[in-house]
Amino acid sequence: MATAPYNYSYIFKYIIIGDMGVGKSCLLHQFTEKKFMADCPHTIGVEFGTRIIEVSGQKIKLQIWDTAGQERFRAVTRSYYRGAAGALMVYDITRRSTYNHLSSWLTDARNLTNPNTVIILIGNKADLEAQRDVTYEEAKQFAEENGLLFLEASAKTGENVEDAFLEAAKKIYQNIQDGSLDLNAAESGVQHKPSAPQGGRLTSEPQPQKEGCGC
Amino acid sequence: MWGHWITTEDFFMHMSTDLLSKINVDVTFAAFSLFMELNILLSTPNSDARESHRNTAKMFIIICVCICISTVFYNQYLKESKLNLNSLKTKKASSFHEFARSTNDAWDLEDEEDEDLVSASALSLSKNKQPLHSSSDTALPRSQPQDQTDSPQDRSELHNGTMVQSSSDSDLSSAPRPLSLPPRPIIPLVARISDQNSSGAPPMTVREKSRLDKFRALLSANNTDLDELRKHSWSGIPREVRPITWRLLSGYLPANRERREHVLQRKREEYFGFIEQYYDSRNEEPHRDTYRQIHIDIPRTNPLIPLFQQPAVQEGINDLVTPFFVVFLSEFVEEKHMENFDVAALPVETQRNIEADSFWCMSKLLDGIQDNYTFAQPGIQNKVKALEELISRIDEDVHVHFHRYEVEYLQFAFRWMNNLLMRELPLRCTIRLWDTYQAESEGFSHFHLYVCAAFLIKWRKEILSIADSVLSLKDSSIADFQVLSSKEILSIADFQGLLMLLQNLPTIHWGNEEVGLLLAEAYRLKYMFADAPSHYKR
Repeated sequence: MATAPYNYSYIFKYIIIGDMGVGKSCLLHQFTEKKFMADCPHTIGVEFGTRIIEVSGQKIKLQIWDTAGQERFRAVTRSYYRGAAGALMVYDITRRSTYNHLSSWLTDARNLTNPNTVIILIGNKADLEAQRDVTYEEAKQFAEENGLLFLEASAKTGENVEDAFLEAAKKIYQNIQDGSLDLNAAESGVQHKPSAPQGGRLTSEPQPQKEGCGC
Repeated sequence: MWGHWITTEDFFMHMSTDLLSKINVDVTFAAFSLFMELNILLSTPNSDARESHRNTAKMFIIICVCICISTVFYNQYLKESKLNLNSLKTKKASSFHEFARSTNDAWDLEDEEDEDLVSASALSLSKNKQPLHSSSDTALPRSQPQDQTDSPQDRSELHNGTMVQSSSDSDLSSAPRPLSLPPRPIIPLVARISDQNSSGAPPMTVREKSRLDKFRALLSANNTDLDELRKHSWSGIPREVRPITWRLLSGYLPANRERREHVLQRKREEYFGFIEQYYDSRNEEPHRDTYRQIHIDIPRTNPLIPLFQQPAVQEGINDLVTPFFVVFLSEFVEEKHMENFDVAALPVETQRNIEADSFWCMSKLLDGIQDNYTFAQPGIQNKVKALEELISRIDEDVHVHFHRYEVEYLQFAFRWMNNLLMRELPLRCTIRLWDTYQAESEGFSHFHLYVCAAFLIKWRKEILSIADSVLSLKDSSIADFQVLSSKEILSIADFQGLLMLLQNLPTIHWGNEEVGLLLAEAYRLKYMFADAPSHYKR
């Protein structure tokens, strides 16, 4: 991992949340490994993955926390919301109950992250059209009402998985560009490769340029 | 159905009346939630009711477990038939079928012990010679006669009572299995359970032989000296005698040899009594939803699936009952066949006995670590804190390193505690580890902490080198990175590297030797710190 640690300009912290069995770990695995993991063991507490993406010519490292969906782990998983720049809130289009619980997940996400955290709603298992239990339209409407990005995706086929992570990143990047996301604020969930050393966790560089590295 | 389940769960969270309402799909977690409820029950004055609740809970856990396990085995079997395995394998399988049939009711503890005494050959072979008494368990009714009435969602996992043999199980997983599996690496599942076993080709060393003899002498005594047995078990139990030794160490079998058969029979009956009792009520609210929920997630929750499909991901085991199951199964299967073994080929009685034994031993295990799985999991939180404290005393470098890069112990050690390192080690190592845990007092609860500490320190070089490599890279490439004087990015890079390392520690080739060293170090730590608590309690 030490081969090229600095070939990115930003680090965005993501969390993936949602009910058990909706495919959170599979989405992450598909995104980082480009493979579908059919028999994914339960996530215990929180697991971790990274990948570098590119938005508007900027390399961005996503630092992704995949949380356990089970209620009993909430005490542990809640502590990982802090400082997330993006949240992927996942439900399973074939199980309405996972959709019905979104408001509770959203409440957690809103309460435990900062107001600028970009939340993208993802209806996973879009390949299982025949078993669909939640329509695209109603989810879309829910997303709009709550100011969420929205996509249906399939961790199995890979459909829209890249986009899910990218769309959120674009939105975060846009927030940085237009100044609505203050990188100085604690817990913005974004870390910028600094142009000058700063105290504290985050560095201020609201208008990032390409830095003189392998970007 | 999920909705039903959640509704029920929410309801009962308020009502707090029903034990089973909180059961989740993952067996381990099912167990956890049950014990969460049990805590409430433990304050119940009526001890009979308490006991019965407790047993119901445990029984239920094991049903899940065994459904899981047999589903996997069965799926594996289906897959293999589809794959047209080469004739050699087929031959082995069929000969095992024959063997299994011929030993239908041979599972009798007394015989087993006699065998142990007279022969150093593998138990599974010796079984063949002695189909002596018919097992008394045959008198038990099949426990789930009415499963045909299951609702469609229930599919058919429970068709044959407690063990799954329905072909529709394989449909449960929405994802079709890959048609062609990658070639199986030769990393035997249990072949290294005990390097000194006699069923493989390598001959026993004198030392191994004398160890085995010692065990056999102890086991065959009229009253097995459990202290002595523990003493010897601490450094590993020979494969041949592991099943019975585990039964004794877990307190499931009495030390008195004459009583064992009776106790075994009674316990097994008792277990199947629970199942019957529960199974009859599975269509009653609120059990129904719980029950359905278990079915839904079985295919994905079963940790054995990755294990058997691709040994490279053996750390995916998260099921605390698996070691028991595999060990008890090892009495009937030669270890080289274990991985490809089809449990359904075993006589029903044998399956049932393995199931019951796994259940009781699992119960015993869970008794010791209940507070790991009560609300908010205080046992785990405390142990993670204790680990942190311990590491800060024994390896300041690592501790400071974590602190510097903002790695929290909870981020990796939660899983170590929650799953008893089962996700970090191959199954064969867990089994060896559990030899010691069962021999050590408070092995699963207290000693595990020291094992985790030793485990962490084992990787100190790798842990510290992540920083070193990045730092040196920084130094060497500083010209290219004028902007990087901030330590911030460094720490981020290291944080990620550290977490990736800690969540994927390379133990896949570990065997007895590594576990032995780990245990020795853990023992040293315990000796130094546990008996002098102020050493690590501030």
